[in-house]
Amino acid sequence: MPVTFTFGEMLSARSVIGTTLAELGAEHENLWVLTPDIGATLVEFRDTYPDRFLDVGLAEQVCVGIAAGLAYDGNIPVVSGMLPFLSMRALEQVRTDVCYPNLPVKIIGTHGGLVGNGGSTHYAVEDLAIMCSLTNMTVTSIGDPLMVGEILRQSMSMRGPIYIRLAVGKKDMVLYEPGEHEVRIGKGIVAREGTDATIFTHGTVVAQALQAADELAKDGRSVRVVDMFTLKPIDEDLIAQCAEETDGRFVVLEDHLAYGGLASRIADVLADRGIHLTAFERLGIPQVYAGFGEDEELRDKHGYGLDATIAATRRVIAAQS
Amino acid sequence: MARTSLRSAEDRPSVEELEDLAFELRSKLLHLCGTYEGAVHIGGDLSAADIFTALFHYGLEVDPSDIANPERDRFVLSKGHAAVCMYITMAIRGFFSYDGIVETYGKLDSAYGMHPCKVQLPGVEASTGSLGHGLPLAVGMALGARHRGEDHRVVCLLGDGETGEGSVWEAAMAARSNELGNLVAFIDRNRQLMTSFAEERVVFEPYADKWRAFGWNVIETDGHDMAKLVAAIDALPATDSDRPTVVIAETVKGKGVDFMEHNLAWHAGSLGAADLERAMASLEANRKKETV
Repeated sequence: MPVTFTFGEMLSARSVIGTTLAELGAEHENLWVLTPDIGATLVEFRDTYPDRFLDVGLAEQVCVGIAAGLAYDGNIPVVSGMLPFLSMRALEQVRTDVCYPNLPVKIIGTHGGLVGNGGSTHYAVEDLAIMCSLTNMTVTSIGDPLMVGEILRQSMSMRGPIYIRLAVGKKDMVLYEPGEHEVRIGKGIVAREGTDATIFTHGTVVAQALQAADELAKDGRSVRVVDMFTLKPIDEDLIAQCAEETDGRFVVLEDHLAYGGLASRIADVLADRGIHLTAFERLGIPQVYAGFGEDEELRDKHGYGLDATIAATRRVIAAQS
Repeated sequence: MARTSLRSAEDRPSVEELEDLAFELRSKLLHLCGTYEGAVHIGGDLSAADIFTALFHYGLEVDPSDIANPERDRFVLSKGHAAVCMYITMAIRGFFSYDGIVETYGKLDSAYGMHPCKVQLPGVEASTGSLGHGLPLAVGMALGARHRGEDHRVVCLLGDGETGEGSVWEAAMAARSNELGNLVAFIDRNRQLMTSFAEERVVFEPYADKWRAFGWNVIETDGHDMAKLVAAIDALPATDSDRPTVVIAETVKGKGVDFMEHNLAWHAGSLGAADLERAMASLEANRKKETV
């Protein structure tokens, strides 16, 4: 089904997953979909390919282990679930059963960040730090719901595993017109051009970064927004290019622990390449187990909401060079 | 459903021949344990030696000259610390060079390490070592075989100690739920963990009932009686049946060497030259006792 949503509309990333998997299931007879009891969005695939769909119930470890067993024998398994559990309870299966033999297992899930109001049992806030540390793992975090389908499609030809992080995936802002940007795993997207500073971001808060850039444009500030949806391998050249073109002024905004995620990955590239910045601020979740509240309320409370993003960007732009 | 056979019936060894092969395996294990300076998991190797022999020389449809044959049975070693027992069994069966194992085991860039790695050693089916991981992998392989309409079997060898891992029971539920009659778990029931005996700190009994309660077909046997192991293999249901089978094989950790049997000190270790001689003498004596 051709997708006709346009910028600014709300669309469910989960429905894109469902539609895309059903599509891919027709193209790839060895594509399997597995879930630990999070199958509501997978109905289309389940009903079309019941013999390649497996709901193991509440058992993340065996879900990932079975996926690895299927992949050993030439299948392409997609594991879909909630990321706090797939990234932590099944971590050893992901690392040892999937990454060690470098099997083409796709792990896709929701609840990346302080989203869904489930409390800290249900927020995946360490997942990117964990996944980025795994040899052979490609790590992505997607904000635009339409991109989810494209990433899944591209991942079909990958030899090794990939981790695809979504927020809640129920109502997501369509950020890009279809075809507006080249979407390629490993390459960042310049979602908005600018020369005074760059906001690097990923996932659900890309929309917030774009909004901050809009607000700052009212004051004549030209802020670049980079959707660094692939955290590993990171687009090093784009980081270097932004350092040069936006006067070494960086803000990193993410719905993940402020240390260990994208900000840390970028800081590593800067240190390794000897790139000197004028100013660098990281906005993300501090070392707290966040409580309950709506997504925006939690981001405001913990210092990485819209106002904090605007303020940090102003500080970065005002910093003495 | 008749299973695809990768060799003729007359190539299959007799019980007596299997016993000789198991003796050869134990001798070679002890030799490695006596010459390699690092630790060898000799206790659990010796407890599983008859099971390995019965599987690789009798039960499994495998072809050493065609390791990627899609019709082959898949063998997943969940108790990955018995890797060297698998390597040597497979060497005796013709997969690998025994000299290659002895010369390189555990050394830099060797394919033969403490725990098996499929990437480094094609011919083994899965990279294992962390306990409780093998059965989920085997469930995935069995599902894949079912889906493709293949009639091969997936056999997974576990230690009883590792069935303390919750993921084993997740896999037990998944196998039953998906009616995987093409899946067989062998349990090396040696009743020892690394630092304690079964029931001392962890209660396993009623062990067979646990598997029955999970909906598995249970075969209980003596894991050191080759005739009984062969009978257990012969009694496995057809691969298109709807229940996974567990063969609980009663064993002795360190089996065949008196000073290793039932001895927590021999979970893993290295024999010096003198102890190797002592171990071999014990192995020989126990063999004579059995043949008398």
